[in-house]
Amino acid sequence: METAEHGDVVLVLPVDVNENEEAERTTTVPFDVVVVHASNLQRHYIQSSPALCERNSGGLMHGSPEGAPPAAAKPPNAASSVPDSEGLPSESSAKLPSPSPSTLSENTSNSPNTEPSMRENLSECSLPARPLGLRTNPNITVSLSCDATPLSPEDGDMFFGDADGSRNTYDIGRRQSAPEKLPDGSTGLSSSKKFGISDFFTRNLFSRKPKEPKPPSQNAPGWRLFGKVPQRENTTKDPKDSFTIQQEYQVKVGPAPGQQVQLSAARRKNLEFEPLSTTALILEDRPSNLPAKSVEEAMRHKQEYDEMVAGAKRRELKEAQKKKRQMKERFKQEDSIANAMVIWNNDVLPNWDCMRNTRRVRELWWQGLPPSVRGRVWSLAIGNELNITPELFEIFLSRAKERWRSFSETSSENETEDSGSLQADRESSLDLIKLDISRTFPSLFIFQKGGPYHDLLHSVLGAYTCYRPDVGYVQGMSFIAAVLILNLEEADAFIAFANLLNKPCQMAFFRVDHDLMLKYFAAFEVFFEENLPRLFNHFQINNLTPDLYLIDWIFTLYSKSLPLDVACRVWDVFCRDGEECLFRTGLGILRLYQEVLLQMDFIHMAQFLTRLPDDMAADNLFSCITATQMLSSNRKWGQVFSALMKDGSKEIANHSPAPRS
Amino acid sequence: MEAIWLYQFRLIVIGDSTVGKSCLIRRFTEGRFTQVSDPTVGVDFFSRLVEIEPGKRIKLQIWDTAGQERFRSITRAYYRNSVGGLLLFDITNRRSFQNVYDWLEEARSHVQPHSIVFLLVGHKCDLEPQRQVTRQEAEKLAAAYGMRYVETSARDAINVEHAFTELTRDIFQLVRNGDINIQEGWEGVKSGFVPNVVHSSEEVTKSDRRCLC
Repeated sequence: METAEHGDVVLVLPVDVNENEEAERTTTVPFDVVVVHASNLQRHYIQSSPALCERNSGGLMHGSPEGAPPAAAKPPNAASSVPDSEGLPSESSAKLPSPSPSTLSENTSNSPNTEPSMRENLSECSLPARPLGLRTNPNITVSLSCDATPLSPEDGDMFFGDADGSRNTYDIGRRQSAPEKLPDGSTGLSSSKKFGISDFFTRNLFSRKPKEPKPPSQNAPGWRLFGKVPQRENTTKDPKDSFTIQQEYQVKVGPAPGQQVQLSAARRKNLEFEPLSTTALILEDRPSNLPAKSVEEAMRHKQEYDEMVAGAKRRELKEAQKKKRQMKERFKQEDSIANAMVIWNNDVLPNWDCMRNTRRVRELWWQGLPPSVRGRVWSLAIGNELNITPELFEIFLSRAKERWRSFSETSSENETEDSGSLQADRESSLDLIKLDISRTFPSLFIFQKGGPYHDLLHSVLGAYTCYRPDVGYVQGMSFIAAVLILNLEEADAFIAFANLLNKPCQMAFFRVDHDLMLKYFAAFEVFFEENLPRLFNHFQINNLTPDLYLIDWIFTLYSKSLPLDVACRVWDVFCRDGEECLFRTGLGILRLYQEVLLQMDFIHMAQFLTRLPDDMAADNLFSCITATQMLSSNRKWGQVFSALMKDGSKEIANHSPAPRS
Repeated sequence: MEAIWLYQFRLIVIGDSTVGKSCLIRRFTEGRFTQVSDPTVGVDFFSRLVEIEPGKRIKLQIWDTAGQERFRSITRAYYRNSVGGLLLFDITNRRSFQNVYDWLEEARSHVQPHSIVFLLVGHKCDLEPQRQVTRQEAEKLAAAYGMRYVETSARDAINVEHAFTELTRDIFQLVRNGDINIQEGWEGVKSGFVPNVVHSSEEVTKSDRRCLC
């Protein structure tokens, strides 16, 4: 069961259908459609023919017997055969769950079973069948998903516009609901008796015939449906659903037809819906049991209706265009990735050493590594200076496992060679690893206990602490290992991890070599001032020193602070360019959010930088990175850094009130 | 322009890794508790306004530090500019309590010539069955160092407000008494925008009358 959202058509069914059978001899299906949006629409309500309802409900009935002729899944032609300005088409009811088949007496017999046929025909139409038990219960809200795809094949096309009825929708127009039009008599609507929701979906909403004044005696006012029907992306293969039509309905059993239908307004009053950009079924004329509209009122309503429709059309168009653009972009991207992949696989990887530094490859690299070659390129780029073999990994891994076992078996007051504190350190390292793993990318549910990569992450980190007891485990490592595991096989991930952490910048940070870290920060600030002088100044005034935001970024190589896909792009370039890239990326981020930061005070800036927006797009960031030149007074990063190493304290003092131990 | 606050205090939250510093702070500043969140790498920042007396609001700038010992060399640089601190240990983790001594020593040696007002917090008090530190011994330790002791639970929201407000009140008292002074270049206490309504003569002399939003 779903709740109504804007865009939903809410069908209100009367409580006790049986009673009405007599009262509404012809058409009535106790059925009101509430239009869920604009208040002026609430004046309209809908009634439909029992026949139609029956058909629909037939379609919904699960176990109904077969035999019904195919429902009118035929779009356009069926539609055009019915004059718009006439009464309610007997088939155009959107009443789905018929409270009880018996109500629709005459129809029932005639539509023994719409379901199977409807099921067959509605090529892309299906209505979820309402479980037997629900059908006769009043006030049951059932959500029916109808995915009609009367859309033209091209995604993103307009929903409406053509009068030829080849498009979707929703104008059922007005039909006289007359007994002759009932299913057994069948209507011109379609060859099939079983006409259901699909049919009115296939009508063209906007191809209305010129309006004729409705005779007040018309007792089944026409109703129309308009708006965009959201296309269901994934048709549910829920066995209950026999149809999917492109509309979602929430059906509620409501008051009997004879009753005033102010239900809509009253009921929907407290729900907020955005007017116009929704789907709706509206009734142009009032039901016969109410005073008819005056001519001017009718005109006014018609005008309002037209405006709404035009507005909705415009919106639809815009949205469709946007979607089209996005799809195009996406295809383009996928294409280029596919192309790149071929190049990487065929040209670059087989000749890694001589290709890796060519301009062409570097350019390709900058665009982002295709996910399927990413792991390999990272591996190759990071290299294996440490000469770790998979066997070595196994050795450290088993050593780690040994240690874990012995920790859990014995108490923490172990008499060992190690001093108590080293023991404690190791143990807390272990606990820390365990805890950190559960906190690594929790939203992915991959690394948590029970997740597919939990053990793997544990293995890599544990083996590393055995391999490098001098470094041990430091918080932040779990993120790096995790990203590698997402892209590489176990042993390769470990090898990459160990070698990556062995790089000078990483070593400096993970060992918390304070002096060295300060030099990195100082070098960063040289280029910061060079590239973003205004922001640099703002930071200075507010005492926002680099350690306050860079530590998290550098320690985790941005894997904690950036969306994963963006972080991977950063890693791509990091693998290509080395540590300088890490600081250049930092400057890229600052540039990206420069305007926002300039308006903030210390605490807000600090909070912002430690919690970057998660809707950051890779392209935006990368254009900012590109715009960042790592050149200051003709010196590049490496030169600046070496200079700092030589006369460290002088530079540091000049640049920032960096923290001192 | 922000809400009017009298002072801004910078608080630092320290303690072993995994005792629950980030959770406690999040419960206090965001009103929520999440079982799983990212480990703090380096330092994290939070802020919140508290009203210690009707009409008297203090803005708290809270620095959440990484607890792993490795990070101490980084975080020790932050003590100096903090006026107050919450020293957390986990009542279900004896070692975290034992390390309180170290934390205190560390803080003391790096805060000179200033001083920090500490509050000892026994966290995760909702896990009574797994308690490894008694209230008595914690209170004893706190008293020995001139600190208050509070037991809190971020998960069950026990004493969270109380812990922060008590500490803030204590600091406020010291500021009023002149035991702690605003100093140029020291971030621990900053004065806020004070309207022409004067609360007390001390505040008139102290406030810079500048807006620090």
